[in-house]
Amino acid sequence: MIAQVVLSLLLGIVLLYAWAQYRRSPIVTILSCVVSLMGFYFVWLPSHATRVAEFVGIGRGADLVLYVWACISLVVLLNLHLKLRTQHELLTQLARSIALANATLPDEARASEPSRISAVTEGKTSQPQYRLADGPRPGQTADQSA
Amino acid sequence: MRNHPFSSIWVVCPAYNESSAIVSVITRLCQAGYHVVVIDDGSIDDTRQLASTLATAVISHPVNLGQGAALKTGIDFALEQGADVIVTFDTDGQHRPSDIPRLLDALVRNQADFALGSRFLSEPLSMPRMRRILLWGATLFTVATTGLRLTDTHNGLRAITRRGAQALRLRQNRMAHASELLAEIARSGLRYVEVPVTIDYTTYSLAKGQRTGDFVMILLDLLAGKLYR
Repeated sequence: MIAQVVLSLLLGIVLLYAWAQYRRSPIVTILSCVVSLMGFYFVWLPSHATRVAEFVGIGRGADLVLYVWACISLVVLLNLHLKLRTQHELLTQLARSIALANATLPDEARASEPSRISAVTEGKTSQPQYRLADGPRPGQTADQSA
Repeated sequence: MRNHPFSSIWVVCPAYNESSAIVSVITRLCQAGYHVVVIDDGSIDDTRQLASTLATAVISHPVNLGQGAALKTGIDFALEQGADVIVTFDTDGQHRPSDIPRLLDALVRNQADFALGSRFLSEPLSMPRMRRILLWGATLFTVATTGLRLTDTHNGLRAITRRGAQALRLRQNRMAHASELLAEIARSGLRYVEVPVTIDYTTYSLAKGQRTGDFVMILLDLLAGKLYR
């Protein structure tokens, strides 16, 4: 009886956690609920575990509970992986913000150059007219590039 | 006379440890007259320094995030600069700047928002057999999951209008971004067109390219992306 109460409390915590995770990942919530409810069932009706185990070809009820536990562990791993992805996405946004704030961009390059673009479509090559990020382009003087 | 209405074309070049190829690639793009933004994705070689002497703009990720993240950063930056069209272009030397006008022309002629390069629409090319099989599998996967009728689903050379770029919601940081981008095109409902382009396979570009194991990771990334918000 003591073990049943303790296990039920633990499974109850899993259910609460699953409910709290619904907005983040419905699939994790559903999987967690399914395996937790299975856990409740086998904890309070252990004799059924053996019958179910025999029915699905496992043999012993204890083995079935072990497999269910393994499933719970896999769901937890999946949830951790998804959380890591979320964290990584936040890291990406942060890194992108830093990168964009520190972009090396010559002021003149902001203005588009229709004449240069038209030369491209005509198959000509032309020397860009904007200033370089770190100095003039090859073949240009600093004055020419400004 | 130019034959398209685009006045501001930005070429987005994600780069990670590309010091041996980036000078040639950026030089050719600049000579062709494009605005070039290089996104240095946390390189540990001289990529950033080399790019900063050639490109219109250089953006440096403080850490390596992946090609998908670099493309997204470049697209955001180009949109900020008022780009009419954004071209994505690999920096390992496999693409040709001479294919870009064809992509732009295809956007106008087809009133499309996405012009996607296809190596399989151009003349037969010598490609490693394993790569051909993997790309064929990727194409089948894309057709099955997005409904897009494409011949080449992992080609890094694309031209995207401003409207098209604004419609994309890209979250995949690494190689799965190519499949995600196609899924986003399908979701947007905007028009797309495939354009024949030439891929120059070199020992260097093959070494930098995707491996068999990458496709497994791409599938796992796409699956994980579906499971969380």
